[in-house]
Amino acid sequence: MITAPSHVPDRLALLATSAVDPFLTEELLKGEHVHGGIDLAKVVEPLPEDDARWSVEPVRSLVEDAMFEFRPDRTRADAWLAPRLHATLRLTRREAADKRLWNHLALAVAPDYVAWRHLSEPTAKRPEKRIAAERFRGPADRQCFSRLWWAAELFRNGSDYEPVAAACGNQDLIHTVLRLDLIDHRPTAQALVRLLQSGQITTGREINGLSTAINAAGATLVYDVLAPDEPRNPVVLGDWVAEAGSAPPVGRHELPQGPDEEPAPEQSVAVLTRYFAELIETAPVRGRKSTE
Amino acid sequence: MKIYPYKRLNRPVVLRVTSVSLKLSDGTRDQLETTAYSTQQQTVALGIAGHTDWVSATIGLSATLPPGANAPDAAWSDLRVLAVLTDRETNVRTSADLTRDAEDGRDWSGSLEVLRDDHVGRASLAVYAVGTVDGVRGRSIAETDRSWLVDTVSDEPVRGLQLDVQKASFRKSSREWLQAYADAPWIVDTSARVPTVFVNTDVEGVIGLLDSNGSGVDSKVRDLLVAQMSTDVWTAVFHGAIGDLEVEPGGGPVFPTDWQGEVLREMLPDVLPGVQVEEALRQVHRRRTGESGWVELQTRIHYAAVRRADATKALAYVIRSLEQMNRESET
Repeated sequence: MITAPSHVPDRLALLATSAVDPFLTEELLKGEHVHGGIDLAKVVEPLPEDDARWSVEPVRSLVEDAMFEFRPDRTRADAWLAPRLHATLRLTRREAADKRLWNHLALAVAPDYVAWRHLSEPTAKRPEKRIAAERFRGPADRQCFSRLWWAAELFRNGSDYEPVAAACGNQDLIHTVLRLDLIDHRPTAQALVRLLQSGQITTGREINGLSTAINAAGATLVYDVLAPDEPRNPVVLGDWVAEAGSAPPVGRHELPQGPDEEPAPEQSVAVLTRYFAELIETAPVRGRKSTE
Repeated sequence: MKIYPYKRLNRPVVLRVTSVSLKLSDGTRDQLETTAYSTQQQTVALGIAGHTDWVSATIGLSATLPPGANAPDAAWSDLRVLAVLTDRETNVRTSADLTRDAEDGRDWSGSLEVLRDDHVGRASLAVYAVGTVDGVRGRSIAETDRSWLVDTVSDEPVRGLQLDVQKASFRKSSREWLQAYADAPWIVDTSARVPTVFVNTDVEGVIGLLDSNGSGVDSKVRDLLVAQMSTDVWTAVFHGAIGDLEVEPGGGPVFPTDWQGEVLREMLPDVLPGVQVEEALRQVHRRRTGESGWVELQTRIHYAAVRRADATKALAYVIRSLEQMNRESET
């Protein structure tokens, strides 16, 4: 297994996807050898000097703690790291949509974490251990760190990260749902977490079946009317971002606090939870009939 | 046509943008000119006034429901009209209620707030008329048939493929990866957020030629050059998009959600004429990943690219200018 590059930068930066390839070597994808970091530092675009958020140390120390704590079961690291990464980086969605930031985090700052988390176990079909390249540079819902950040952003309920930990505890949920448009509606996201917590959906097939049903129903139903959400307040998020410089490191044992936004209205979440529960009863789930 | 299990209006809602203003970071407001939006292109360009410090934009909207919306015997009650802004890059969904202008009218108006930190490029704006039908709340009974685009960066309200052109000395650029292409006049990068053409300023005079305007032969040559670059771009983005397709488990390939999807939807009808775009995507994907047919498709892809780049027109104008020039030198 690889370690951190011998040169890890002090500051986060932007790494264009077209500049990534020379560093995404076969040896790295096999988890055998990582670049030294010096050459990579030459091709990045710097971020503003005076912004505390771009300091690498807090992120680096988070991933090291995750690798230590979750050695026996690395998939459990997602639920731990997602809220803490989110509360450490304090990004706006505009910033988080920039893939170059995630490229840099994965290739320059913590390639060892990407390998630790995503190196596949050998199987009969693919005997060779390998990391999918999309874990380093890829779609937002696949890339190692951006998937965690977006999961935290879309599943947090105002300042409460508890639903994030619950959602990330189910690989099928974040794997399936993050790329669907339905998740953009906060009460929908919260209702999904409730169904997960109450055990009404657990398996990948159930989650797939339900999301298909929600999408199909969404073609005729406007969820914003059924379950209205609060408008976003940019001032609250702006303050949270501005406080990054003075904020202490995120807690390792307790969940951190997110931006002090209003939670999704309880009434809306309750309405959708009931409605989705009805959909589960009627939704076709592959394989359900034969097992029951 | 879709079949719905309840009564709806069968014509679309018509949406117009009536005003756009920006709130700047110092708290002041800038009411943008009407050139910030185009009704014909159904596009709003928030970058038009050149502000880099805006915080939010307020877009004034007016929507007209199709006839029948207020019919006394209509199947719906609790009629509401919602404007919904969605952005697939940032997963943002914002909705705003519109209000009825006159009690028995079909015109509704209101405004929608666009937060700058919530968007990186283009968002899509649609309007839904929603009511309670057969006891079911929240039924959509009519919507806009084509969404408006809200472009938070662009300085011109146009809908087509966005392209970024950057000039750089490939030999001396701080982007070291460009050095590998030092002997090329331009290269196309389709891995960035929007496709980007890097023009190599090491080729002497190339910038002068590209910036030339007027009616001389220079500008015709420039147009030909631009057409050649555009052909390269369209070809590259098509291949990039097809190569990156995500395949649903147990299903076919799905259209990408960003500009790659737009490009595919636009080019596929020329690549496989007479085939619906969804089916065309499946066929093209099969040909690329399957055993045969990919090589044969290249001519069609090139044709689709050339058409979009207006290459024939550009070439014809250059030839005409050259003929004129030759004639003048003979006399």
